[in-house]
Amino acid sequence: MRDDDVLWQLVLVFTPLSLLSLGGGQSVIADIGKQVVDVHGWVSQADFVDLFAISRAAPGPGSLLSTLVGWRIDGLAGALVASLAYFVPSSLIAFAVSRVWNRYRGQAWQGVLERGLAPLATGLILSGAFTVLLSSSGAVSTWLIVAASAAVFILRPKLNPLPILLAAGLAKVAVSAFS
Amino acid sequence: MSGSEPKPAVTLPDMFALFARIGLTSFGGGLSAWIYREVVDRRRWLSEDEFLAGLTLSQILPGPNVVNICIYIGQRLRGTAGSVTAVLALLLPPMVVAVLLLVVFRSYGQLAWLHDLLEGIAAAAIGLTFSVGYRAARHATESNRWAPAVLAAVFLAIGVLRWPLIPVVICLAPVAVLIARKKV
Repeated sequence: MRDDDVLWQLVLVFTPLSLLSLGGGQSVIADIGKQVVDVHGWVSQADFVDLFAISRAAPGPGSLLSTLVGWRIDGLAGALVASLAYFVPSSLIAFAVSRVWNRYRGQAWQGVLERGLAPLATGLILSGAFTVLLSSSGAVSTWLIVAASAAVFILRPKLNPLPILLAAGLAKVAVSAFS
Repeated sequence: MSGSEPKPAVTLPDMFALFARIGLTSFGGGLSAWIYREVVDRRRWLSEDEFLAGLTLSQILPGPNVVNICIYIGQRLRGTAGSVTAVLALLLPPMVVAVLLLVVFRSYGQLAWLHDLLEGIAAAAIGLTFSVGYRAARHATESNRWAPAVLAAVFLAIGVLRWPLIPVVICLAPVAVLIARKKV
């Protein structure tokens, strides 16, 4: 297959997925796998699992999976094309909606909307954290770290999170090493 | 409160520096919680209500939620240039790191201690997200006495019963807004 063809097909795979990723990137990860492994045969299933693990381990949003898949398929050009095809279409929609929303800033109805939506968004934040917690390994030490860090961050809202997160990672390594 | 108080002037380099730092240091997911802390708690660039309304929009629209919330914040503070700056700062540095990790991973294979380290970091990030949820819940309750009921309904439907997000939000949002018409 010629190089241009692969790049073009990456666009055709990732652009629809971008527009279909309602509710966030998680909803289309399975579809990305299906397209690049089963439909196009660009990467093996084992490879895809590796790429997924790295996208979770790396900093930044998990949606960087699209960049990694593009890189694996066609190097730098593949990474750029897959990233653009995945991030640009949905971002244009978000931009248009933000613009309209912010244009009516300060209007009474917007205050009502914001007040009404705040508990809804809060429920979504807590649901998201709860779902991730349930999908973790379930080890006692993991739950303890979650509880301890929640307590620290509630008591000290302005604390820089990074040292706490690093300490939690090292604690987990230590627990595994001595058990 | 929102809209009436003057906003601090935020420069594009300020925004780039903050979002690049968030993108690069947010291991273990829960980026929205990091952004809330930095943008609302520490810098007061946005009010709680403004941020949470943007977060709801971000969740409903297609695309990764964090990318959408960055676009919303960037647009709110500095228009088109703000959106572009926030998204590029959030995505480009971690992209480079992710590709480097991929290359390293291919050469050394999986390391058990690295897995443990990342799981510990992810657990603390979950705690961070819970703390942000707790603070946002307290804030929401101050101006809206129905807030605990709405919050509990969302958590039950999506967190516990695992119902799909979009229909739940579309059904609950009008109810949540209607009962919040009167300020407490």
